[in-house]
Amino acid sequence: MDNSDKIKPLSEELAASLIKNESTSDFEKSEIFDEEIKSQILSNIKTGEYSDILKGIETKKDWKAFKKKIKKRPKKSFRLWSYGAAASIVLLISIAFVFNKTDKKQDLDFEEPTIVNNNIEVGTDKATLTLEDGSDIILEKGQVYKSNNISSNGEEILYSPKGKRGKVTGNEVAYNMLTIPRGGQFYITLADGTKVWLNSESKLKYPVTFRRNETRKVELIYGEAYFDVSPSTNHRGAKFKVFHQSQEVEVLGTEFNMRAYKDETHINTTLVEGKVSVSTANANEVLVPNQQSSLNLETSKISKATVADVYNIVSWKDGVFSFENKPLKDIFKVLSRWYDMDVIIENTVKKEERFIGTFNKSNSIEDILTAIKSTGFINTYEINNKTLTIK
Amino acid sequence: MRGGEKKFTLKSYKKLFQSLYPQLCVFAYKYLNDLELSKDFAQEVFLKVWEDKITFQNENHATGFFYKSVKNKCLNYLKSKQYKTTERYELANLEDYETEEFYMSEAVTIETTAVIDKAINKLPEKAAQVIRLSIEDYTNNEIANELSISVNTVKDHKKVAYRKLRGFLSFLTVK
Repeated sequence: MDNSDKIKPLSEELAASLIKNESTSDFEKSEIFDEEIKSQILSNIKTGEYSDILKGIETKKDWKAFKKKIKKRPKKSFRLWSYGAAASIVLLISIAFVFNKTDKKQDLDFEEPTIVNNNIEVGTDKATLTLEDGSDIILEKGQVYKSNNISSNGEEILYSPKGKRGKVTGNEVAYNMLTIPRGGQFYITLADGTKVWLNSESKLKYPVTFRRNETRKVELIYGEAYFDVSPSTNHRGAKFKVFHQSQEVEVLGTEFNMRAYKDETHINTTLVEGKVSVSTANANEVLVPNQQSSLNLETSKISKATVADVYNIVSWKDGVFSFENKPLKDIFKVLSRWYDMDVIIENTVKKEERFIGTFNKSNSIEDILTAIKSTGFINTYEINNKTLTIK
Repeated sequence: MRGGEKKFTLKSYKKLFQSLYPQLCVFAYKYLNDLELSKDFAQEVFLKVWEDKITFQNENHATGFFYKSVKNKCLNYLKSKQYKTTERYELANLEDYETEEFYMSEAVTIETTAVIDKAINKLPEKAAQVIRLSIEDYTNNEIANELSISVNTVKDHKKVAYRKLRGFLSFLTVK
């Protein structure tokens, strides 16, 4: 029987109750000790039996000595395999490092990163809801919003379908907009049951309710969204269309990812399930699952290719960033949106170096940097306020 | 979002070291009766966790892991030839050391002492003295006598202490 994991919670409860002069429920009920030992423990704590010897330990001094020990020993080379599930662990591997190990310095410099004022935070669920009258409502954790058929708990927003008596006849349908800032993400269920995951720095426009027998239209103004579209068969065959100023995607009940960032040269639409048709002013591509269309915004040409692993493209909605053979500069572009930071990569060669890796979006930026650093690929980095410099 | 096991950075490891190392030294001392050796053993465990990149589900798991590792190191040492040939030790004693009861009671006593010390360190001097005596089961009257202050002042100090520690205490008792 191993009770090791109970040491901390038991001790904390006991400490709190002794300070507050209250009875100690967990400790008293605990079956780890018999009554005699319990009273022995209590008496030793109350008289501060171990207090003096504890205070005699020079933790600061010993940490300094210890730190030298861990720096002196060369770090073991980065392991390709990982403990536990890959998704829960930061893992970023320089491809050049793996396949070309001999070229790289094995004795990794253990240069300490410079951190002036780390204001880089992990992204959270947040968005701004713009109502038809132009008024803005901030949605974030802990903020509850409710009106008509809209409700939000600050982490997602739900548009419920209007009841039979809901009046959507006659007048124009009202549109709302959801804007996700850098460092944000959000999840919305539209009135027809279509689910949309919105990535950082994205904006979606959609009707508050959908009119019967009419094509359902939403607009990804910019950014990245994953659509799980409620099938047409549930809506008397009404099609679903996603507009963008440069293309439109026609859907018949399906799941797909559309990425149309303002600072990127291509719009990529990737189909996970079902069937979609991507159209521009002068071209049209029909996608089957695992295919991706790529619209070049400069030439207006659209191309189609099969993607090896759709997971790398859509994993962001499940809290994971997954990169397959991506240049460092692209990886940091994605990271800069989620962590809302500016990134400077000083070495232009390194920018193009490709990596394989996956990590959890709940990781702090420093965890990720430590993983990249442990590949030996970057020497060190600097964080100053919200700017990250890779050396 | 899905949570994950975090890898240590030098910064987060320093924090862990500072919050656990003193207790582990004292804990090892209970087995070894040699403080320098106890420090070495505690540091060796910290080194191993760092080098093997071991991750933990949460703080309770981490704390338990460190105590358990230090215990095992101590017991192995006590059973080793090296120790047997250099020191005289009683076999009966070793059997006592090997019990779960000894392990858990020493660990909880030391850990609780450390938590209380940390809390009291946050208090102004007088309030700290009051709480210290209160933990030793002194009544308010006895505390007043001991510190030559009025009973009402004792009560005031307690109020100040509880208010100051409110965040800390509620953090501790959150289940």
